Amino acid sequence: MADTQFDVIVVGGGPGGYVAAIRASQLGLKAAVIEREHLGGICLNWGCIPTKALLRSSEVSHILHNLDAYGFSAKDISYDLAKVVQRSRKIAKQLSGGVAHLLKKNKVTVVDGHGKLAGTQGGLRKVDVSKDGKPVGSYTAKHVILATGARARTLPGLEPDGKTIVTYREAMVPETMPKSLLVIGSGAIGMEFASFHHDMGCAVTVIEVVDRILPAEDEEISAFAHKQFAKQGMTIKTGVKVAKLEKGGKGARATIEVAGKSETIEVEKVILAVGIVGNVEDIGLEGTKVKVEKTHVVINEWMETGEPGVYAIGDLAGPPWLAHKASHEGVICVERIAGVKGLHPLDVRKIPGCTYCRPQIASVGLSEAKAKAAGYDIRVGRFPFVGNGKAIALGESEGMVKTVFDKKTGELLGAHMIGAEVTELIQGYGVAMTLETTEAELMHAVFPHPTLSEMMHESVLDAYGRAIHF
Amino acid sequence: MFASPLAKRMAEQAGLDLGSLKGSGPNGRVVKADIEAAVSGGARKPAAAPAAAAPVAAPTPTLGAAPSADVPGMPAYEEFPNSNMRKVIAKRLTESKQFAPHFYLTIDCEIDELLKVRKELNAKGDDYKLSVNDLVIRATALALKRVPAANASWTEKAIRVYKQVDISVAVAIDEGLITPVIRDAGSKGLKQISAEMKDLATRARERKLKPEEFQGGTFSISNLGMFGIKDFAAVINPPQGAILAVGAGEQRAVVKDGALAIATVMSCTLSVDHRVVDGAIGAEFLAAFKKLVEDPLTMLL
Ligand SMILES: Cc1cc2nc3c(=O)[nH]c(=O)nc-3n(C[C@H](O)[C@H](O)[C@H](O)COP(=O)(O)OP(=O)(O)OC[C@H]3O[C@@H](n4cnc5c(N)ncnc54)[C@H](O)[C@@H]3O)c2cc1C
Repeated sequence: MADTQFDVIVVGGGPGGYVAAIRASQLGLKAAVIEREHLGGICLNWGCIPTKALLRSSEVSHILHNLDAYGFSAKDISYDLAKVVQRSRKIAKQLSGGVAHLLKKNKVTVVDGHGKLAGTQGGLRKVDVSKDGKPVGSYTAKHVILATGARARTLPGLEPDGKTIVTYREAMVPETMPKSLLVIGSGAIGMEFASFHHDMGCAVTVIEVVDRILPAEDEEISAFAHKQFAKQGMTIKTGVKVAKLEKGGKGARATIEVAGKSETIEVEKVILAVGIVGNVEDIGLEGTKVKVEKTHVVINEWMETGEPGVYAIGDLAGPPWLAHKASHEGVICVERIAGVKGLHPLDVRKIPGCTYCRPQIASVGLSEAKAKAAGYDIRVGRFPFVGNGKAIALGESEGMVKTVFDKKTGELLGAHMIGAEVTELIQGYGVAMTLETTEAELMHAVFPHPTLSEMMHESVLDAYGRAIHF
Repeated sequence: MFASPLAKRMAEQAGLDLGSLKGSGPNGRVVKADIEAAVSGGARKPAAAPAAAAPVAAPTPTLGAAPSADVPGMPAYEEFPNSNMRKVIAKRLTESKQFAPHFYLTIDCEIDELLKVRKELNAKGDDYKLSVNDLVIRATALALKRVPAANASWTEKAIRVYKQVDISVAVAIDEGLITPVIRDAGSKGLKQISAEMKDLATRARERKLKPEEFQGGTFSISNLGMFGIKDFAAVINPPQGAILAVGAGEQRAVVKDGALAIATVMSCTLSVDHRVVDGAIGAEFLAAFKKLVEDPLTMLL
């Protein structure tokens, strides 16, 4: 008979759950993952990875349509959308298979089915698992980590039909490229789909309810991005309320309100990207002390819920909704369970966030406005891509690197970048922050020439009035 | 020194000796959080009985020269290295006693009415529980608003009379004591004062106060009533001009209208920096304070 008793059971096999289970096993705990659909969760199957695969295709498309700049010419550039999507799906599948392999290698038991808390049994937490509504088994463990993730949020009046009006799930596997697209919501997910469609030749309109796109980013970065997208030919409207969304006309018709005036937008397709909600339903929270607020499970700094022995991590436990945050929480949670010494809670301020639209956006720490609001007396450095040799050589001379320092201590409070490849650069500042460097060490560090990373150096220098190349 | 660059710089700015700190980072590295903890709470024991309020603001590394304890004939001892907090307390209090000419004014307040009002108020809601100290804070703040000259600091050029009453309240913690500040206490109601005080005291004990929560303050209160102390004189918390030391409320025989009666009496002693506040102003403040404490309904206004 299969094993049914564990030290740790993880419900959900996304980047939060599977990483927690592997770390548990490394620490000598007997671990199981219960996953109902696909190992790797949203991230590998319907989120981070497949979008990046799609965006790679749209980047190629962008280059192909600008070949002249590099001395090439080509005729009849075309693409087969089915192949583009197929490539993305294949990559997702490959990685999901990789996770299965990693779990096996680490001796983590994988249970196929839907897990649900079911009280206690013999002093242990019990989790019931069902498949297609039929019970398949009961498992017990001292510790249960809930990592059931999240799904797209829908708003009243903004309900998807899965064909014309869709969320990220359907948008990931389009059958045809629409001629026109409306993206509602300008967060990371919205802007990535907008950018993909735009570079694949679709006329894109993005609308955002607050007064700027990418509202989580530094205001200057939002403004810079807005300008760039507008220059590319995208239509962007901020401070917009959707009064009505209905099917009809070319596909869908949205009635929006901008500054008190009403407008209609007709498009072939609509992507809703208005946030996400936690998967808190049907996981046995009823009658427990687990608290749910705004569709997310409430946890403390050690991912503990109100119920002893029950933890929550990742998207289920609230923002920022990022895969690396989910994984990191999983690791800390399990290390705490295993009694690892010298643990520190996750410092939210040091979690980088990346958006892979064109231009890319990456940031870590406090925005200029947030630093000021937190009472810091600050120094701000900026360096434009146009001052960087490598950026110009790449044909990517638009972007900037912004840094925010505490004037008093020289602590790097935040870094904000927009432009080519910045998602690969941000971690330089992430490491610097974690090591608690001040501006002095950053100035001291030698950055290789010619690289985009030199802008990170220059931005720091600029904060102290010492930039060389601008 | 195994410390992060930021920790090194912050330690230098705060006048802390890095060598005396225990690092909480990987492999014992001293990190920003350790400096913040040291600034807000000291790094090591031993527990001391609070004697007076001492701020932990603007610490500097050197102490005033102390007479040597190394005299012959002392018994065996154990040494507890001074935490940074201990050093700061020592320095600030020495400075206070050296430079601020203290004088002391004591007044007795009858608090039977105050205890009654407190009880009644506490019976009215279960989302708060007022302590006598909360009422003392409120009374002090209102009295200072009436006598602003007592809410002042000495500087070489001028006497600074503050436009807001920020009350530092001494809280004993393991390593010594710390004085979290109730900002603008004069315009806060009892419930808010009580909630803030509870939060500040809890976080003070956990050493989780931010510097801005215990630095500053225009006037201090030190209350040792809960230890049964009848009356004491506290050391002024510079640059403030005065500190109110609050004793225990106890039943005493008092003479009322020529007859002996029993009343609950709380003695309070104001230590005053004579450079800033003269006797008459100190007395005026205490009279205003007493009036509020003995007629507590007026402090609800
Ligand atoms: C389009 C898109 C793009 C994104 N891009 C990025 C990006 O570039 N970078 C980034 O960091 N983040 C990105 N994200 C966010 C990222 O995908 C999530 O933050 C991450 O997947 C959260 O991980 P998780 O483990 O908490 O949950 P999930 O990945 O959602 O995993 C939860 C898993 O639990 C399973 N499950 C749920 N309930 C049960 C149950 N009762 N029993 C058993 N199994 C259950 C689900 O099937 C799922 O596999 C993106 C998201 C989307 C939608």
